[in-house]
Amino acid sequence: MMRYLPLIWSALTRKPARAVLTLLSVTVAFTLFGLMIGLNATFDEMAARARADRIFTNARFGGNGMPIAVAHQIAAIPGVKVVTAVSGIPGYVQDPKNQVFVLMMDENLPKVFGDWGVTEELWDVVRKDRTGIVMSQSQADRWHKKVGDTFTMISKQMKRADGGSAWTFKVLAIGPDFQQVTNGYIFGNYDYIDKARPLADQGKIGEADLLANDPATSAELAARIDRAFANSATPLVTITEKLARAGGDFAGLPIKPITRGIALAGMFMVLFLTGNGIAESVRERFAEFATLKTLGFSDRSVTVMVVLEAALPCVLGAALGVGIAAVLARQIPKLMPPGFGLPLPTMSPMVVLWAAISAFVVALFSAALPILRLTRMDIASALSGRT
Amino acid sequence: MLRQIWIVSALNFKSLPGRFWQSMVIVVGLAATIGVMLSMLSVSAGMREGYAKAGDPGRAIVISKGAEQEGQSAITRAMAPLIAVAPGIAKDTDGKPLADRTLNVGVPVLRADGSKGFTSMRGFSDKGPGVRPELKIVAGRMFQPGKREIIAGVGARIMFRHMQVGDKVILPDGQWPIVGIFSTGDQLEGQLIGDTETLLTTLHKTNYNSVLVRLSSLDSLTTLKRALTTNPALSVDVMRHSDWYARLADQQTFALALLGYIVGTVMAIGALFGCLNTLYSAVSTRGREIATLRALGYGAFPVAVSVILEAILLSVAGALIGAGIAWALYDGKLDLFGNTIFHLSVSPKQIELGVIWAIAVALLGGLLPSIRAARLPVVDALRAT
Repeated sequence: MMRYLPLIWSALTRKPARAVLTLLSVTVAFTLFGLMIGLNATFDEMAARARADRIFTNARFGGNGMPIAVAHQIAAIPGVKVVTAVSGIPGYVQDPKNQVFVLMMDENLPKVFGDWGVTEELWDVVRKDRTGIVMSQSQADRWHKKVGDTFTMISKQMKRADGGSAWTFKVLAIGPDFQQVTNGYIFGNYDYIDKARPLADQGKIGEADLLANDPATSAELAARIDRAFANSATPLVTITEKLARAGGDFAGLPIKPITRGIALAGMFMVLFLTGNGIAESVRERFAEFATLKTLGFSDRSVTVMVVLEAALPCVLGAALGVGIAAVLARQIPKLMPPGFGLPLPTMSPMVVLWAAISAFVVALFSAALPILRLTRMDIASALSGRT
Repeated sequence: MLRQIWIVSALNFKSLPGRFWQSMVIVVGLAATIGVMLSMLSVSAGMREGYAKAGDPGRAIVISKGAEQEGQSAITRAMAPLIAVAPGIAKDTDGKPLADRTLNVGVPVLRADGSKGFTSMRGFSDKGPGVRPELKIVAGRMFQPGKREIIAGVGARIMFRHMQVGDKVILPDGQWPIVGIFSTGDQLEGQLIGDTETLLTTLHKTNYNSVLVRLSSLDSLTTLKRALTTNPALSVDVMRHSDWYARLADQQTFALALLGYIVGTVMAIGALFGCLNTLYSAVSTRGREIATLRALGYGAFPVAVSVILEAILLSVAGALIGAGIAWALYDGKLDLFGNTIFHLSVSPKQIELGVIWAIAVALLGGLLPSIRAARLPVVDALRAT
């Protein structure tokens, strides 16, 4: 195969502008391919990383949360290992356009979400100083904060006991971003806001997240929790993490069909381009191919040459495109408004494999017709330029 | 000059069938680009249209000061009558003001595919139907005030399970029967409606979310706003209903539209390289023809223009094909994003946008090849075999 390389190289460099433009176009299509299929890979990974034993519980109606007593009652249900109460302060920084949400957690946070990356050390920071918060790197970048700074937010929904709506925290630590938390996070200590709220609001939490003793029966446990509270003052809606992530959809949009459709449209676009390029190149060199065949090149070796000529820009473009996609993927969160929460595409081995397969399929389809013509050529008339 | 452009371009277009497959590179490139972009934008455009229809400029919404969404707003029972008697609000036939005390509560639902989701459950008070005359019952009947009954929108009936007349929805204090199906022609069709006071009692809530009023005239908003914002007993914002929904639509569709444009831009760049490639080789195929024309005294400019015109013709044809496919696949289809149900939309305005993009790609892609065509050395080209 190597001995054909000089021939293929001279074929490609015969019209350098065409070769470069084809390569660029293929590269762009594979950049899109990488971003789209990479996004799928991320959703798959998130679904795979969902813990079978983790369960989320929310108040069924009103969205105003639940009494903390509900979390304690859930903890007492047989089969429940540990419950963490999740609360938060919704609000904004300076301008209502800059929406922010500060989570207020309790000491079971690292037990329930340790696999995301919440360590005991990270929690210890706000356990020791209740007036402080921990920010993820992305949130720290967004608000231009470093350790030791003061973070002030306004919350119309959560008033302070003194009637004010400004909440001030000290930034105690900057933590790493977690893949499962696509917007980054800010968290503090629930005890702090609970004491700082008016008496009527104390003891209210947003949701309860828990681990089951037995992952195999977590779906059954979720249903049991819902039933236990069905006729209480706070009916609940409980879902296992597996089920919550299984759909692979983003806010109701089916991600997979959309991303695959876009990637396919891109491939279709380059198929016409590469197909035309190779057909044109073969047509221009028809007499040369006739010479090669006269010299004893078999149909097979001519076929290999044409396929390789078609494959070179495809494979090179695929490699470049996926590489560019890997770099671009990291820039996407900066383009999107904060809070949109679309996860980053990952260039997993599967993405690379699919890109390679697609590149070869495009190359084969592009080369098919020219090869058919070459194998059926009448050498004598081709040599005399009569075709 | 115009005559020359016309003749050169006509000659060029006549030779297009001979370069059919080559030309298809541009057509397919633009069809794929515009098809994908308009399909993606059909989500944000459809949502916008749904919100725009819901926001009647003849209505105004009263929410608590600074509230960005209905869920953040609380209007107390004491405030509601003060709002209703304010000037600028239209009167019903019984002489009472057309002011509807409304609720907006999240309710868990099962989507048609079996996944869990949420939708809005709205509370209408006695003047609800008067304030929203577009609401029509299409099956069953209206709920009765004071009873634990609800009606579901035509969109909710399709997109969620168990939303037929006679089905029951789990709400506090038991299951509520669906007694009717309504249509409004806007995004309310994905939601449920029940009686405000009954809902308040069963949800153990004490506050309304907002008061929706019908203005006595389009201009009476200023009167109403002045009366409500200067009343020391109230701390509220007043917004024209159409402005309120326009803002909500902006918040919800901005990122989605941005994604559509990003993907569209990336694909357009790919199509642009394809366009350049095709036009360069078209110019070299036409080398003899161009040289002959130049030798006959035709100017360089008409030759250059003919290349650009070819690019525009093929690109626009591709864009229209792509837009046509997007339109056939998605326009008018019922869809769901977040908690909003709406009809996807590929409107003439969107298609126009696609055509403008195609022309932009054609101009960028045609510029360099057209310069090459204009500068073609006449003698060499004529001599070439």
